[in-house]
Amino acid sequence: MLSHPRDPALLPRLLWGALLLALLVPTLPLTGFNPLQLFDAATLKTLAGFVAGFLPPASNAVFLGEVMRAGVTTLAAATAGLALAMLVGLPLAFATSRALDRHALTAAAPSRLAEAGKSLLRGVMVLLRGVPEIVWALLFVRAVGLGSLPAVLALGLAYGGMLGKVYAEILESQPRALARALSAAGAGRTQVLGYGLLPQALPELVSYSVYRWECAIRASAVMGFVGAGGIGQLLDTSIKMMNGGEVSTLLLVFLLIVVGTEGVSRLSRRLLESRQGGAVLAGAAVLAALASVAWLLPAWREAGFDGASLLHFGREFLPPDASPTLLADIGRGALETLAMAFLGTVLAFAGAALLALPASGRFGQSVKTLARLLLNLLRGIPDLLWASLAVLAVGLGPAAGVLALALHTSGVLGRLFAETLENAPPAPEQALRVLGAGRLTAFCYGLLPEVWAQWLAYALYRGENNIRAAAVLGIVGAGGLGQQLYLALSLFQLPTAASLILAMLLLSWLLEQLSRLLRQQLEAAAGHAA
Amino acid sequence: MKAIKFAMAGALLAVSVLASAEEAVLKVSAIPDEAPTELQRKFAPLGAYLEKELGMKVQFVPVTDYAAVVTALTSDKIDMAWLGGFTFVQASQRGKVVPLVQREEDSKFTSKYIANAEAGINSLKDLKGKSFAFGSASSTSGHLMPRYFLQKQGIKPETFFKNVAYSGAHDATVAWVASGKVEGGVLNASVWDKLVEAGKVDPAKVKLIGTTPAYYDYNWTVRGNLDAKLQQKITKAFLKLDPKNPEQQAILELQRASKFIPTKAANYKGIESAAKEAGLLK
Repeated sequence: MLSHPRDPALLPRLLWGALLLALLVPTLPLTGFNPLQLFDAATLKTLAGFVAGFLPPASNAVFLGEVMRAGVTTLAAATAGLALAMLVGLPLAFATSRALDRHALTAAAPSRLAEAGKSLLRGVMVLLRGVPEIVWALLFVRAVGLGSLPAVLALGLAYGGMLGKVYAEILESQPRALARALSAAGAGRTQVLGYGLLPQALPELVSYSVYRWECAIRASAVMGFVGAGGIGQLLDTSIKMMNGGEVSTLLLVFLLIVVGTEGVSRLSRRLLESRQGGAVLAGAAVLAALASVAWLLPAWREAGFDGASLLHFGREFLPPDASPTLLADIGRGALETLAMAFLGTVLAFAGAALLALPASGRFGQSVKTLARLLLNLLRGIPDLLWASLAVLAVGLGPAAGVLALALHTSGVLGRLFAETLENAPPAPEQALRVLGAGRLTAFCYGLLPEVWAQWLAYALYRGENNIRAAAVLGIVGAGGLGQQLYLALSLFQLPTAASLILAMLLLSWLLEQLSRLLRQQLEAAAGHAA
Repeated sequence: MKAIKFAMAGALLAVSVLASAEEAVLKVSAIPDEAPTELQRKFAPLGAYLEKELGMKVQFVPVTDYAAVVTALTSDKIDMAWLGGFTFVQASQRGKVVPLVQREEDSKFTSKYIANAEAGINSLKDLKGKSFAFGSASSTSGHLMPRYFLQKQGIKPETFFKNVAYSGAHDATVAWVASGKVEGGVLNASVWDKLVEAGKVDPAKVKLIGTTPAYYDYNWTVRGNLDAKLQQKITKAFLKLDPKNPEQQAILELQRASKFIPTKAANYKGIESAAKEAGLLK
């Protein structure tokens, strides 16, 4: 007589686990990631020497003055960049949003020509946001020279494409009754937008823009790694020169800026709740944009900007290099990039799960505060910055990329996981405990099933992000396509660079398709289970 | 859409008008082969000397990226730059540039191979399977020539070493090797000597394991459309620098030059063919 199996779903669980392992094993040689190396005596010594140099943080007046100016430049470049992105994104959204189409609102027939134009604009937006902002920055640094102008242009283009898409989608998600009535009465695109959609969509549009501003500041801070000015440029130099004291000062200032921005963005969301508040916010935003441009202008005048040389530079990329050796190199780079992202995400999933338990308050308040602090630190430092630090720990190459992605993503996922744990219904776990199950069993069979699907969905989403991130980490020496791109641009092998950028775009597009498919599968499975 | 285009065109116009309305200034830059603060320190007295000799304002434009110096010079954003042999070749491929002078030392320049003292490495051969750092990918003495000479010895860096990294600058390479971040590296002999003299290299941490054969390196280059008279004045000012004059000796010492000599593009043909052979130039 067989007893009841303890876990009826054991076999499929083991199979899934085995599949995951089978996928993980080849990523180890591909990325050269060796967890033991982290604890290697020589590595620990290098790292300890560098970290010991963190104290005391550099505080001489000349350096601090430089840091202050760089900090303001970083903020100003982010603000001016976002303003430019809005100038790019708003008209694109206005032109392409389906919510403003007469044929979508009334029974009118669509105009072929207009639809073709919109498809073209949507293609432009895909291109703008498909190329990561740091790659745009690198290109502009090479084309228009160093300084904050490349950072502003890079943010303007990459975020412009993003804002255009999201603004259009926000308009599309609004209730359409009013817009329909206006359109039926003969109102044009502008009127439908102004009277039918904008009043209800405005808070969401503003709130998304504020969120993007926060992202822009983090992005602007790391753009210095490719020579685009601001705090990142100082960090890059200090890390290269292994000056720990300067690095710790800069990291502190960077974290202060991030925390400050989060405060400002919370405040602006509160302001948005009242009409006067909204007006104050609008005024402040315009003032901030103008002040930013005023701060950056002297340096721009110095750098100069001529469209002719930009065009000339652009033409040199054509035609992209398609030689078989390069394609093989790109294939290897892409594989390295994928392996880096996959391994990094899996490690982050494990790290996040481990940190989410204390961070959700399961082991008392003080442990919770501590865990949250750690998560914020992990999340607050951008992956590119982690990568340039990780290069110290595990040497140059994709292993540093794995570590960087694992650290940053642990922070991001950990916070989300902790939230799902806090929001999950406690009854099943409590019931198991009452029935005499151990703590671990009760957690695994009571709580975990409640949050598992959500966790997987988050991890999948971050994994997709991480592939995009992994493609550019090489710019600071962490392997993959980014490293090849950086070299090609340094050596003026522009057709090679063009092929590499195309490969990044293709990878990103393939990924979007794959993740959409996977998500549909997951949703279908969840629907089936319910 | 149109309004924005106009606004952007207007802004560009305004910026370029503002830029051109300035007084006559000689804008000078240098490839960032050392830390930015060091570059500024090195240039300050030379800049003051040139201002006096040329009778015009001389401004140093700090740049943290080799390739950006090349682009800036060939797109007329700066007037003069201190280039390495390889960056000079890149610049002459991308536009009209004129090399004026070089240090006497630049006609027989070398690079030094170094290793972490604790890694038990005594020669290049011992670096097999170890991690290795070049300087910047665009550097002549930190990358191109060492790579070229390594290949001549049958060493292909990407397969011979475990890991090939680019530190970005010569002094950074020493810092990397000293910390053990990489086990070996190569840098400009002139920067190496300077760091050793200044006591900035700890012999317990970094040791010298070899030197490359000699080649032509650095020069001062101007953009091709710079006023010919001004070009002559600049050349004269450099050649006039006299080691017996204490003030000028200080300038020469900071430039690590015994004196400056005239140079010509033909001196860098060897670099160009080495770059092609090493696969860095197509």
